[in-house]
Amino acid sequence: MSEMLSGAAILCRALVDAGVEVIFGYPGGAIMPFYHALPDHPRLRHILVRHEQAAAHAADGYARASGRVGVCVATSGPGATNLVTGLAAAYMDSSPVVAITGQVSRPMIGRDAFQETDIVGITLPITKQNYLVEDVTDLADIVAEAMAIAVDGRPGPVLIDVPKDVQNQKIEWRGAQASGAASHRDPRAGARGQSLTPGASPGSLEDGVRAAARLIAGAERPLLMVGHGVILSEAYAEVRTLAEKTGIPVITTLLGISAFPDGHPLHLGMPGMHGEVHVNRAIQNADVIVGIGLRFDDRVTGNTASFAPQARIVHIDLDRAEIGKNVPVAVGIVGDARDITRRLVAAVEPRRCERWVEHIRGFVRTRTESYRGDLSPEAILASIYEASHGDCTIVTDVGQHQMWVAKLYPYQRPNTHITSGGLGAMGFAVPAAMGVHLARPAGTVWAISGDGGFQMNMAEMATMVQEGLPVKMAVFNNGYLGMVRQWQQFFHEKRYSCTPIWSPDYVKLAEAYSIPGYRVKEASELADVVGRANAEPGPALVEFLIEQEANVYPMIPPGGSLSEPIEAEPAAAAGD
Amino acid sequence: MSGVSAPPPHSAHTVAVLLDDALVTLNRAFGVLRRRNVPIEGLALHPSGTAGVSRLTFVLKADPLTADRVAQQLHKMIGVRSVMVLANDDSSTEAKR
Ligand SMILES: Cc1ncc(C[n+]2csc(CCOP(=O)(O)OP(=O)(O)O)c2C)c(N)n1
Repeated sequence: MSEMLSGAAILCRALVDAGVEVIFGYPGGAIMPFYHALPDHPRLRHILVRHEQAAAHAADGYARASGRVGVCVATSGPGATNLVTGLAAAYMDSSPVVAITGQVSRPMIGRDAFQETDIVGITLPITKQNYLVEDVTDLADIVAEAMAIAVDGRPGPVLIDVPKDVQNQKIEWRGAQASGAASHRDPRAGARGQSLTPGASPGSLEDGVRAAARLIAGAERPLLMVGHGVILSEAYAEVRTLAEKTGIPVITTLLGISAFPDGHPLHLGMPGMHGEVHVNRAIQNADVIVGIGLRFDDRVTGNTASFAPQARIVHIDLDRAEIGKNVPVAVGIVGDARDITRRLVAAVEPRRCERWVEHIRGFVRTRTESYRGDLSPEAILASIYEASHGDCTIVTDVGQHQMWVAKLYPYQRPNTHITSGGLGAMGFAVPAAMGVHLARPAGTVWAISGDGGFQMNMAEMATMVQEGLPVKMAVFNNGYLGMVRQWQQFFHEKRYSCTPIWSPDYVKLAEAYSIPGYRVKEASELADVVGRANAEPGPALVEFLIEQEANVYPMIPPGGSLSEPIEAEPAAAAGD
Repeated sequence: MSGVSAPPPHSAHTVAVLLDDALVTLNRAFGVLRRRNVPIEGLALHPSGTAGVSRLTFVLKADPLTADRVAQQLHKMIGVRSVMVLANDDSSTEAKR
């Protein structure tokens, strides 16, 4: 049986066929045929955001929490360009997102038509792949291929630009397979380029694992550094077994947090610019570092010339282009973190590293900061942990609060920490948390933002109310763009240029959105207020009036060495 | 300038890429070069003999590490089928998958 279907209907069917259940989007002229067809496909739940950036971040949050593709939709021109930040964030953090944009009709393309932008061109460097659909008969295959590419190998965003006349075009539809699939559009044609085949050849993969095991056996001061790849490949049990079999202490990067239980005796914490002193000193003293699923980002390494000067590095990554990109490696193994770690577990001899762990313990510094009303980041985060019985997903924004959460929140469950790491996009937390809720409807999700980042996407509270998304929002209000203010304090003679930031009355704001709003000034109020917010059936907003000029310590100055942290306000700044 | 090690010598590398004959794929490939601002000396695009596949050949001036990174970056692109780097001393390496 064949039937006549429009491109828009085919698009919807292809999404349903790919298993899509949720779409975050915003309509407009060039995508109207799609929106016209959408109600005929009730399996596709559409979430109407308040800004397309939020649609992309929400799709990203959904993808990270579910491991499935997050889908966002926008119209041409401004709708499409509004997606860009969200796609860049997804690209930098290897998150599988498919963006569908409307485009002006084919005869208008290239004529600077109303709301025409070259979104394929604009997003080339921030997508794994993108398409301008020129023939409606290709549409279903392109959608299927895009969905596959987004999750294949190292995940990432894919964009599909669909001209309005292609959406309106009707063709005889005999199902996806029957349509004229261009043969070179086999999803695996793309996947071939993705270093999917582990190792250069099977032999060298085994060689790599053996070499890594030998390095581990001979090491006196070994470390495991685990990143986002461990979460993407769900290698939690394997990494834990490797650590426990060898006694090697574990460092989790910003995006690797929650890949290893925080309270585990072998867990050291986060490295890098705001890593604890003992973590960075462990790196600087290590003789072997086994890095799994991370890219040795500059925020992790500081100045690479002085990074881990004594260490021979084993680098395990799915993306071959990462190996040796940022730091020289002794052994590089290309492959899935879970698969390779499992092989490594089998190849290593049981051992202990007690003296080394003891040595690292000697580096630990006790924190001495004090906070107004005892409202320390620790106290706030402890109250969220307790109110949610340690069972919620935390989504953070970008800035000081993000670093406090990364360092202080006692993550126990895998993949319960979600943040914009690579791009560091302020405004991420609130919309991404909406996506997390839809991926984990039974769980609680807290979006933790600063007063700056919250104001970037706070309009999404309306989305939460309209769509029934019970996101709990925490605003760490310090009256400043805190992280930038900290840099100004340390490196710019305390010249607080354009960093004091005014906020509305958040309690009244919440009320205006018909959301319960709370303000916390003292630590003594925490348990009660956070408990109530957490128990709300719908969204809730809690503002924490925190110390205005608190800093995140320690700090490696940008481009500095991990060996030289700033542990207190620099003397020059402290004097005036 | 004492203490600063001399940058590795730049030499010519011929890079041969087999890729889908789609403009978007070509554009993406050039994006890799543009982003790193690698100087290009020669450039040619020809049919490869296989339908739907083009052969892109260019000469870039770079140190061997940069040339290798460019090759790796190209190699992982969707639509790129193979990448060969030929150094000016005639040794060749194939970007491994
Ligand atoms: C979209 C965007 N713009 C600017 C920045 C630069 N930036 C990084 S942290 C920061 C300050 C964040 O302030 P706030 O949201 O109040 O959080 P806090 O640091 O105070 O916790 C800024 C402006 C950014 N990361 N993202």
